[in-house]
Amino acid sequence: MGDPSERAGAAHTLDAQASVAWMRRFARTTPGVVGMIAIAVAACCLIAGVVCVAQLNGRIAERNAVLDRSEPLTYAAQNLYAALSAADAAAASAFLSSEIETGPMRKRYQQALADAASALADATAGATDADTRTAMAEISAQLSAYTGLVESARANNRQGFPVGSGYLREASSLMQTAVLPGAERIYIRHLAAVDEDQRAVGSTPGAGLVLLALVLATIGVGSVLVYARTNRQFNVGLVVATAAALLAIAWIVVATRLAAGHIEHSRTEGTARFGQLAKARILAEQARTDETLQLIEHGDIVAGEASFNGHIGDLGKLIGTGPSAAADGVAKWTASHRKQVEAYLGGDYPAAVAQAIGTDPGGSAAQFAAVESSLRDGIEHTRATLRDRVSTASARLAWSPTGTLVLMVVAAAAAVVGLWPRLKEFL
Amino acid sequence: MRTRILVALLIFATFTAGCGSSTPPTPVTVAPIDARPAGAQEVTTAPVTGSADCDREASLRPAPQPSPGAMPHGSTMAAIAERGRLVVGVDQNTNLFGSLNPSTGQLEGFDIDIAREIARAIFGDPDRIELQVVNASQRESALQSGQVDLVVRTYSITCERKQKVAFSSVYFKADQRILALKGSGIDSAARLSGKRVCAVWGTTSLPALFALKPRPTLFGVASWTDCLVMLQQGQVDAISTDDVVLSGLAAQDPTVEVVGASLGIEAYGIGIKKENSDLVRFVNGVLERIRDDGTWQRLYDARLRSLGPSPGPPAARYED
Repeated sequence: MGDPSERAGAAHTLDAQASVAWMRRFARTTPGVVGMIAIAVAACCLIAGVVCVAQLNGRIAERNAVLDRSEPLTYAAQNLYAALSAADAAAASAFLSSEIETGPMRKRYQQALADAASALADATAGATDADTRTAMAEISAQLSAYTGLVESARANNRQGFPVGSGYLREASSLMQTAVLPGAERIYIRHLAAVDEDQRAVGSTPGAGLVLLALVLATIGVGSVLVYARTNRQFNVGLVVATAAALLAIAWIVVATRLAAGHIEHSRTEGTARFGQLAKARILAEQARTDETLQLIEHGDIVAGEASFNGHIGDLGKLIGTGPSAAADGVAKWTASHRKQVEAYLGGDYPAAVAQAIGTDPGGSAAQFAAVESSLRDGIEHTRATLRDRVSTASARLAWSPTGTLVLMVVAAAAAVVGLWPRLKEFL
Repeated sequence: MRTRILVALLIFATFTAGCGSSTPPTPVTVAPIDARPAGAQEVTTAPVTGSADCDREASLRPAPQPSPGAMPHGSTMAAIAERGRLVVGVDQNTNLFGSLNPSTGQLEGFDIDIAREIARAIFGDPDRIELQVVNASQRESALQSGQVDLVVRTYSITCERKQKVAFSSVYFKADQRILALKGSGIDSAARLSGKRVCAVWGTTSLPALFALKPRPTLFGVASWTDCLVMLQQGQVDAISTDDVVLSGLAAQDPTVEVVGASLGIEAYGIGIKKENSDLVRFVNGVLERIRDDGTWQRLYDARLRSLGPSPGPPAARYED
């Protein structure tokens, strides 16, 4: 007690109390009121401006998320599925055609593996969540086990050992029951992420608009108080600030509405269509697997036929509205498949194999390739639409953050500059 | 005073902020891939076996054989002749008896040769035949549903099976034995204790292994080549079934051998739908002929020479 610093502290407190009391008295005077209005309006303008900029920049960042991450990942994931399925089909065809070592089948198998490796790298790039990376690592590990089994099958086949077919069946089972379902899950997850990111681009920046409304309310209340104190109806500064805030609101509303329109198109003509075509491609691959498995199993085909017809039926429904080349191809493919089944049930196994995997342009292999490539073209096309629309949507937003910030800084400055003469009258 | 407190607080805040230990992002870990043949499963419940008792090798006595192309009117053979081809259920994964030749895409083996002899007896042409692959566990249902006319597929005659389908006379006899890696120390059924053993669903080998005391860990798969795949992948220690099937597997891998004494004798017959007794008699007539005219011996020499010298065709026994 009684040491100098305590006394100094007490003096500080007294000083502070005195200055607070002075501030209170000053606030009740006209210059005090006018000064506080100027500060409140300017502060509101700046806060609203900064929040709007942050929200609009968020929309633009979502656009980058769609174009740089979720959309390319989805595209890579569906390519991965197609490449893996093509590798399995090529291995099965090579087995059926007795072209074990050489020939176009082997090349196609190697090409499909290279495509799968590329798609795997593309689909892993930028995957930040642990689930997706784990799923990718699983596919990677399974794929190396798969190729090992296919090579074991090949080595045994070359020596005429039936155990080769055992290895091939094991490989195909690994592909059909583990690898492909895993790839399909990744693709479905990515597609959902694209849709979510797209919706985020087109959403209205609610908090920013509420704050802008608050700016208008503050200016309104300020104008009434200034009129009451100074008897002047219009303050040019506050009028300019009002105009700037209204302009900012109009800009944001129009820009986000336009963006939302483009996003809606990108979702219906892009994402939804992309999803349908990718689903169709997967169904086509599954039907092709059914077709070759029937021949490899070389037994009762009732279950295999039911599965084939189910996949083709779903495929037909999906591409009913799609590229006519695909629908046409499916009809021809189904016709060729009927011939294969006829030959098989008629006991002519070699003819059935030839119909399924032969190089005849009317055969199932050629027709399946036609369906597959037209679906792939369709996917490329909708992909371009999706990206264009998202890009256009974000172009509508491009200048809105800068514009809003400039307008709100102008509004804040106008309020201060406009009220300064009223304040000066008392100083 | 205040300034000093403020500065102290700022310094404190600046330095403590960096002190939290930063946890690295969790690295991805996946389990090694242990691929198995589709449908491979451990056998934990006893396979269904009836306790039927019968003279399993006795079949129906052949009637006078009609000549090819002249099947008696209204008989099952006439219906097959009408159709234009004989439909036979066979195997495509058993070396020596029925397997797909990878270089020709054709099914071949001792069983398939026998089936062709029956087609020859009906049509005078061994190629008027449709070979359909049936799994071991589908053999009875394929006959009962009429999917195939005959099953010629290392088909052991048992009393339980005879309640569902009819069998021809015996055309081959085999012993159930064990296939294991050379130097594995497995040389008898007793040494299978505590080991993992593979067999095919729906075969007679599976219940025989299940009945062993103590029972080994048993895996069921769809075909015998799947068992060899599992053995080569180190997922089982041994395979046990008929010696001829095991020899076919051993021929594909120099590191394995057939070991041990017989666990039981298996008599192979041709499976036929129970109602078609005329076809049973006809098939027995064909088997009678190929035993007598040296065809059996010729087929044995062509396909099964690797099993050792021919024991000669097994004698047929008839019940009426």
